[in-house]
Amino acid sequence: MSERKRVQPRQLHAAPSPAGLVLDAQLHLLDRQMLDVDGVPVTTVDDIELSGPEPNEEIPEGTAPPQITALLTGPVLGTRIFGGRPPSSRLIRIPWKVVAGVDTVVTLGVRADSMDASWVERWLRNHVIARIPGGSHEP
Amino acid sequence: MKRLLGVALGILTAIGGFVDIGDLVTNAVVGSRFGMSLAWVVLVGVVGICLFANMSGRVAAVSGRATFEVIRERLGPRAGLANLGASFLINVMTVTAEIGGIALALQLASGVAYILWVPFALLAVWLVVWRVKFSIMENVTGLVGLSLVVFAVALFLLKPDWGALAGQAFSPSVPAQEGAGVYWYYAIALFGAAMTPYEVFFFSSGAVEERWKIKDLAQSRLNVLLGFPLGGLLSIAIAGCAAVVLLPAGISVTSLSQVALPVAQAGGQLALAVLILGVVAATFGAALETTLSSGYTLAQFFGWSWGKFRRPAQAARFHVSMIVVLLAGVAVLATGVDPILVTEYSVVFSAIALPLTYLPILIVANDPQYMGKHVNNRAVNIAGVIYLFVILVASLAAIPLMIATGAGA
Amino acid sequence: MNLSDMLGSDVLDGAGERLGEVSDVRFALDAGAGQLLSPARLVGIVVSPRTASSFLGYERQEISQPWPVAQLLRWRHRGSFLVLWEDIAVMGSEGVRLRSGFTAYDARLTR
Repeated sequence: MSERKRVQPRQLHAAPSPAGLVLDAQLHLLDRQMLDVDGVPVTTVDDIELSGPEPNEEIPEGTAPPQITALLTGPVLGTRIFGGRPPSSRLIRIPWKVVAGVDTVVTLGVRADSMDASWVERWLRNHVIARIPGGSHEP
Repeated sequence: MKRLLGVALGILTAIGGFVDIGDLVTNAVVGSRFGMSLAWVVLVGVVGICLFANMSGRVAAVSGRATFEVIRERLGPRAGLANLGASFLINVMTVTAEIGGIALALQLASGVAYILWVPFALLAVWLVVWRVKFSIMENVTGLVGLSLVVFAVALFLLKPDWGALAGQAFSPSVPAQEGAGVYWYYAIALFGAAMTPYEVFFFSSGAVEERWKIKDLAQSRLNVLLGFPLGGLLSIAIAGCAAVVLLPAGISVTSLSQVALPVAQAGGQLALAVLILGVVAATFGAALETTLSSGYTLAQFFGWSWGKFRRPAQAARFHVSMIVVLLAGVAVLATGVDPILVTEYSVVFSAIALPLTYLPILIVANDPQYMGKHVNNRAVNIAGVIYLFVILVASLAAIPLMIATGAGA
Repeated sequence: MNLSDMLGSDVLDGAGERLGEVSDVRFALDAGAGQLLSPARLVGIVVSPRTASSFLGYERQEISQPWPVAQLLRWRHRGSFLVLWEDIAVMGSEGVRLRSGFTAYDARLTR
């Protein structure tokens, strides 16, 4: 890597500023907490799925920019830490269209219990916690 | 008055950092070997933990985000996982030690063998974590833990030569019979205990449990400014008692009963009874703090639902992980290991966890997206950076010193 | 593609010379926020000549505290620039190749 030469652009232009909200994925989205519509933590943003481009294919000029299709969670966290890639079937997707807001947390417009992302929580609730006396009492 | 009663979170948090079972013994060891010559380290540690606990409480009150959420968000999954691994091991080791500590204190009170008290201690800790309201938990353990003030009372009753003690404290030097390496090893161990990361995990998560908001910032500051100095005071009083009684007698501290010796000598049976009550409450409080911290850190790293303000069924993974931690702790105790020795090795993991905890807190406390106008002021930033540097140096020195001195032997 | 496939990958100019690594990917939400968010379209990539590691938040120009942490992280990322989607020719396993004659923009976030 290091022996390869780096070239540096000579001049930086002022960036065009889009009218709406600007998000840097790593800074504003990745690893943030996701809360459901009731404020209950669901999971974290472990990766982000985009509508394109096709890997290794030339992008024709004038192609519409890709969009965020879904926030990903689950085993993909392990591959971000240790490398590799989980099979697509094991990704848990939270579609971008259920995202209601992005701030210090990502808020969703749906209930956690209706989502694939919280199946472990539900399984442990039904098979472990609910069977211990007092598990569903108000604290 | 309500304000003063609302400082239990700070007191309970400080108890876990300064007078948990490992620290009770370490403080007495330090007093019996070095007199008051390491008291300055406790002072440095108190200022440091006040600084960062206040920052973490402020971040939690203003943004609603607890410390490990901030760590995951700012450091990303790799460095975050390194911190999670180290912090989680410290938590599990301390939970193990505290359950043993509760049992040891009950043995001291009853004469019934310590191992028989372990299942009882486990069940009691779990029941509180499972069912008791957060505010009741912090008030009871915090207030009863205050009976450890008996160490300070005992120090007065012992009528020590205050001038000599102050001399050791204000012009510290390495005692002739001890090596400089051992002195600095204990300095780092005391500093690491004062700034142990589960304090900020617990304090910031407790702020979320208590639903602190911007209007509670003064409350948060009061918790910090009363709780941690009190913890430091107890820590110094324990060392002082040991310096007055055990150091001249040449008694080396290896067990809880030797820690209690100066108090029994100064105040008799009654003081001893108060002391045992205090030790039970302090170890119990520290067990709760570290059990909950292990649940908080895991849940906040992975984004699970957490908190005692929810029904256990609404925070299933949080409660399951704490049950697993408690059972793991008891399994370790069942091997017959000395619970006090368990905490000694947490210094190693502190070396990883301390910088990776306090750097992201400092960064996010300056981030207007989180903090709005409540970002750090300049003085806090200067002090924060200085402490970060001290933490880094202590972290780098900790493991070599531990190996070179055989863990202070 | 997933975001983690892009982050950290090499960035080459039209002639195949290495410019640096992708340190972040910038998106924009165009319409005003209704009940749910509007689509997030890719604006461009932030290229750092030295390291793909995170800026820890210091890519935003108004944040300069605490000294020297902010200054140190800025310095590690000095020379970073933004390349717009229109100037990206290929994204793939060998990294990102830009079109010849791409424009480098100031990467700092103004808000």
